[in-house]
Amino acid sequence: MVVERDELGFDAPAPLGHPARLGLPEGQSTGPEVGERLPDFVLPDQNGNPISFHEHRAGKRAVLVFYRSAVW
Amino acid sequence: MSEFSDRQNIPYHLLSDLDSAVIRQYGILNDSIEPGDVFLYGIPYPGVYMCDEEGVVISKSFHDTYKKRDSADLLLDAALGRVVVNESSPQAKGGDDEVAIHVAVHGGDGSIRQGIVRQLVIRFEPGDGLHLYGEPVPEGMRALTVNASGPPGLVFQEPRFPETESLYLAAMDLTLQVWKGAFEITVPFYPVGELASETRPLDQGSVDISVDIQYQACDDETCRLPKSESFQFELPLDVIDVPNIDVHTGHGQREGAYDGTPHLRRLFLRKLKEHPLGFIRYLFKHVRLMRASKRRAKESNRQMNVHDD
Repeated sequence: MVVERDELGFDAPAPLGHPARLGLPEGQSTGPEVGERLPDFVLPDQNGNPISFHEHRAGKRAVLVFYRSAVW
Repeated sequence: MSEFSDRQNIPYHLLSDLDSAVIRQYGILNDSIEPGDVFLYGIPYPGVYMCDEEGVVISKSFHDTYKKRDSADLLLDAALGRVVVNESSPQAKGGDDEVAIHVAVHGGDGSIRQGIVRQLVIRFEPGDGLHLYGEPVPEGMRALTVNASGPPGLVFQEPRFPETESLYLAAMDLTLQVWKGAFEITVPFYPVGELASETRPLDQGSVDISVDIQYQACDDETCRLPKSESFQFELPLDVIDVPNIDVHTGHGQREGAYDGTPHLRRLFLRKLKEHPLGFIRYLFKHVRLMRASKRRAKESNRQMNVHDD
């Protein structure tokens, strides 16, 4: 396997130019900004139970992570 | 996912956004990926939001590349609005009776893995009535500087200084920028592929880094001599553990006991069923890009041989 290094110095198995390796384009919006309320949503968790975000927080602080891929 | 989270002892919720509905709602769909790239279309620009009790964003973290990610400890700091260094983190004390210095490597107990951001936390505690100077200072005085260095491939970002306050020195008719009381300077750092890459075994078990500090303490009357101090740390390199999948090598140095093949097979079948043409186009594109990559490797080998001659 050929491993190519990108301009930021990172290695990955996919070749350069592969869509899997694209980074955050300059000027790209990254969703709600500091000071804005996070939009509410309902999604199933790993056990299939629907989780309603703000209701589930029950008035506590939360960390919300958007992850781009995983191999379960 | 249920099996995965049990095996990995994941105590938090893993939410599935199958149609990328929430990703679109948040406006973070990776739209530089074409809908034709069926395996990838629908992924977000990866990032993290921290919200307060009202659900309002108090901090967020999006990096220029998906390879760069913050340590969980740093995210918690951002969510709680303070830095708490674990007792198990590498740390050292310095300074003297007048100015105490504490240096720690924060995040993942200072372990090193490609793209994961850790932080040097340098805490100064000047005694009563003492202050330290920020840039700029007149000739003969020393502003506080922090220089971190390590092996090639360890990237140190610019130090982050807290805000200074202005101090007017009547004798010199000069206003200078100073820090009074305890304060912290942080230096984020992360390794790139040259030092730590998950696509090859590690060359070494640990790396040495050095943190060099210069400062000068003064009270309103007199200044102490400028000082410099150096701190050394040995930081372990992490072996990256990944699920075991035959067709998916190069994503970790150690294939874990968890078998990810059934999941990948289900993903393949679903994509093939939903987008038969897109699936084929994606495979063609993949093969074309892999060939181009091999050509580039051959070309660079040839050039190296020419230089050797």
